[in-house]
Amino acid sequence: MITELEVGGIPVVLAPTTGPMHAGLVFRVGFADETLARRGITHLVEHLALHSFGVADYHYNGATGVEFTFFHMQGAEADIVAFLNGVCAALSDLPMQRLVTEKEILRTEENGRGEGPTEAMALWRHGARDYGLATYPEWGLTGITPDDLRAWVAQYFTKENAVLWIAGPGVPEGLELNLPSGRRQPVPAPSSALPVRPAHFSGPSNVVGWDTVVRREARSAVFSGVLERALFRSLRQESGLSYTVQTNYEPRADGSAVVTAVADVLPEKQSAVLGGFVDVLAGFRLGLIDEADVKTVITQRAEEATRAEESGARLPGQAFNLLSGRPVQTLEDSLAELRAVTVADVAAVAVTAHADGLLMTPGRTRADWAGYAEAPRESESVAQGTAYPSLEDPSVVVVAGERGISLVGDGSAATVHFDECSVLLIWPDGARRFVGHDGIQVHFEPTLFTNGHALLPALDSRVRPELHAAMPARDPSRIPAPQPPGQRGYGHPQAPSQGGKAGPIVGLVFAVPGLLLFGGLGLLMLLASTLDDVDRGFEVVLGLIFLAFAAGAGYGVFKAVRSLRGR
Amino acid sequence: MLRAMSHPSDVVFDPAAAYPDIPVLTAALARRDWSACRALLDSVSPADRTSLIRTAGDEKDLEGFLREVLRKDPRDGAASALLGFHLIYLGWEIRTAAWAKDVTPEQWAGFRDHLCQAEQALIDASAYDRSDAAVWTARLLAARGLSLGSAESRRRYDRLSAAVPHHLPGQMELAWGLEPKWFGSWEELHEFARDSALAAPPGSPHGLLLAEAFFARYTTADNDAERGSLLHDQRMRNDLYRVAEHSVLHPEFRRDYGWVRAANTFAAYFALVQDQPNTARMFGVLGNLAVADPWSHQEADAAVRIRQARTWAFGGAR
Repeated sequence: MITELEVGGIPVVLAPTTGPMHAGLVFRVGFADETLARRGITHLVEHLALHSFGVADYHYNGATGVEFTFFHMQGAEADIVAFLNGVCAALSDLPMQRLVTEKEILRTEENGRGEGPTEAMALWRHGARDYGLATYPEWGLTGITPDDLRAWVAQYFTKENAVLWIAGPGVPEGLELNLPSGRRQPVPAPSSALPVRPAHFSGPSNVVGWDTVVRREARSAVFSGVLERALFRSLRQESGLSYTVQTNYEPRADGSAVVTAVADVLPEKQSAVLGGFVDVLAGFRLGLIDEADVKTVITQRAEEATRAEESGARLPGQAFNLLSGRPVQTLEDSLAELRAVTVADVAAVAVTAHADGLLMTPGRTRADWAGYAEAPRESESVAQGTAYPSLEDPSVVVVAGERGISLVGDGSAATVHFDECSVLLIWPDGARRFVGHDGIQVHFEPTLFTNGHALLPALDSRVRPELHAAMPARDPSRIPAPQPPGQRGYGHPQAPSQGGKAGPIVGLVFAVPGLLLFGGLGLLMLLASTLDDVDRGFEVVLGLIFLAFAAGAGYGVFKAVRSLRGR
Repeated sequence: MLRAMSHPSDVVFDPAAAYPDIPVLTAALARRDWSACRALLDSVSPADRTSLIRTAGDEKDLEGFLREVLRKDPRDGAASALLGFHLIYLGWEIRTAAWAKDVTPEQWAGFRDHLCQAEQALIDASAYDRSDAAVWTARLLAARGLSLGSAESRRRYDRLSAAVPHHLPGQMELAWGLEPKWFGSWEELHEFARDSALAAPPGSPHGLLLAEAFFARYTTADNDAERGSLLHDQRMRNDLYRVAEHSVLHPEFRRDYGWVRAANTFAAYFALVQDQPNTARMFGVLGNLAVADPWSHQEADAAVRIRQARTWAFGGAR
C-alpha cells in the first residue's frame, strides 16, 4: 500500500518494504531537457552533488536518465537522512572547485560506457534534439561554466520539480530536504527526424532492433511481452538464429511509451534474422496475436508487480508518475488494468505500433522490400553560398552561405541550416562541426581548404552563441594536412583517434573490407559499422558513405564525404 | 495434345500435354472466375498447386483482379502466391534477362519495386498461413531477385520444409539460388540436390534436382576439358546413378509433379554417358513428352537432338 505524504514541500510516496530502508529523491530533468551544446550538464550536476559522499561507505548512487535524475540510497535511516539532506545541500551550493576534475571523470566514464545495442535508434527517430540527445556524447562538458550549472540547478533541481520515494516504515527523523523553490518542468515534446514511418536504417552488424512509440497503458506493456515471446519462438526456438531476444517497455512522462525489441545476430545470419524479425512483426501488424501468449504475459506481469509492491520496487515508477502529472497508481488498480487486457487490445496496439515503427537492420542489409521506408540520411537541398573545393579532391566541395553550410560530392549533400543547427563544435585548432536538428553533420577542417581559417569567423557568427560548444584541444598529429590527390594517407590507422583521423574533408575515413552493390541498383553505397569518432573514439557510423574510393595499403579505403547522422 | 496424338513419335514440349490442369487454370483466370481457380487449386497436391500457380503467374494483367480477390479475403494464400509470382514476373519483364551491366537504372528500379510489392503481399500471406508451400516457394524466388542473401533463403526454405517436406518446386527454387552465380557453390548445390533427392520417398521425381544440378554445371563449363572431367567424375556419376535408382529408375516411379522434367533430364544424362538401355527406358517413360532443357535452349534444336537420341536409344543409328 503506497501512502502519499510531504516533506519540506516535496511530495513523498511511501510504502513498506521487506529489506532495509531505501529512499530516492527524483527530479524531473534528464538528457531530453538538455541542448547538444550543453549536453552532459545534468550528469555533471549529479556528479557534483554526490562528490561529498565520495569516500563514504554507503550504498548510494545517482542516475541521470532521459527524463529523470535521481539520488538514492539503501541503508540505516540516519545514513539516508544524512545522504539526502547532503545532496540537497550540495545542490544549493555545488562544489565548483571540483568542476575540472569531475569533467575529467565524466569523460572517462563515457569512454568506458558500453553502448546499448539500440542506443542509436533515438538519434534516427528524434534527431539531435530532446529525446535524440541520449545518443550523443557529452559534448557540452568542456564549455559548461559554473553559471551554467547554477542556472540549470535553479531551473530543475527545485522543490516543485522533485518527488521523494521511501521504501520503509515511515519518513525518517531529521529529513529536511532544503531545496529552492521553482516550477514543475514539463517534458519537452519529442522531435521527429522520420518523415515517413515505418522506416528503417542500417545499424550495427550484430543486432536487429526495432522500436515504436505507443500510448502508455497496460495493453501496450502486454504487447511488448507478447512480442518478445513471438520473436523468441521464431528466432531462437524454431530457427536457432538468435540467442538473445528481448523487448522492453519504457513509459515516458508525456503519456507515451517506447517499445523496443532486439535480437542478436551472427554475421553470416544477418539476412535470416532480419527476415524472421520482419515476419514476426508482420504477424503483429495483421493482428495475429496468440491468445495463450497474452494470458501468460498478463500473469507474469501481475506476478512481477505484486513482488515489486512487496519490496517497494514500484515506488520509483510512482515517483516518476507524480512528476509527470499522473496520479499514484495502486497495485490493485494496476492489476485490474492489466487483467482487463484482451487479445483485441493487444492487436490494436500492434497496428499502431507497426505504423510508427523504426527498424534497425544489421550491417548492410535493408528493409525496403518489407515495406519500411529508408530513414533520411542525406540532405535534400544544398545551402546557397560560395563553393570551396577541397585541396585534396576538387570534386568535394564545401558550400557556405548566410543560411547554411553544405558538404557536396558525387551527387549527394549534407546540409546544416544555421537556423536548424543543434550545435556547432569548435576545436581550438580551427576544426568545426555543425550538427543539424535532423542529426546530419557537416565537419569542416580548415587546413584542407585554401584560406580555410579565414572562413571561421563568418561561419561561427552564423550560429547563435549559445549553440557553440568548445571542444578539447586535439593532438597536433590529428590535425589533417592536405595531400595531393592520389597520395592521401588517411591518417594513422593504428593511433587512437582523437580529433579526426586525417579525413580529407569530413574527418570520416573508413577502412572497410568490402563493398556492397546494393540490389544491383548500380549505386555504390556502403554502410560501415565502425567509425573513428572525431573526439571520443566511439562514434558509430550511421551514415551514407559514398564517392570515390582510393586504393589503400592492402585494403580498400573509402572516403566518407559525409557523415550523416553520426553521433 | 492433338498434334501429339496424331504424330505419336513427335516431340511435344507443351507442358499442358503432361499437366492438363494448366489450361484449365488459365482459362478460369481469363474469365476471372476465382472460385473455379480455387476449386482446382484446392484439389491438387501441394507441388501441383505451387507449380500451377507459378505457371499462371506469367499470364497477363492479373494484378488488379488478384488485389480485388485479396481485398475480399486477405487470407487467400493461393491469390497471394499468384499475385506474388505475377509481380515477380512483371518485375523481370521490366528488368529483362539482359546481363546486369546492360540493365538501365530505371529498369533496376522498376524491377526492385515490383519485387518489393510481391514480397509484401507474400509476407502477409505467410503471416496468415505459415504452412502455404506456394507462398514460401514464391518467397524463395523473391529473395533471390531481391538479393536478400543465402541465410534468408535458407530460412525460407527451412520454414517451407517444416510445413511441407520434400516440396519439389521449392527445392528447385533453392537449388537455383545455390548456383555460384547467386549465392552458393557447385558443391553446395550438388550436396543439397543429392540429399534432397535421396530423402524423398522412393519413386518420386526429386532425382531431377541432381540431374539439373549436373547440367547447370555442365552447360556453363568453360571448355571441353572441364566438361570431360565432369562427365568422368566418378563421384558425380555414382551420385547421379544412386539418385536415378531412387527416382526415375525406381520401379515405383510415379507421374507426380516434375516427372517429365525428371525423366527428360535423365534421358539427356544417360544419352550423354552413352547408357543406351537407360536412355531408352527414359524415352519409354516419356512417350512423346519432352522439355527443351537441357537438350538445348531452342525448342527446334532440342527437338532435333531428342529425336536423334531417341533413335539411337531405341537401336537406330545416332
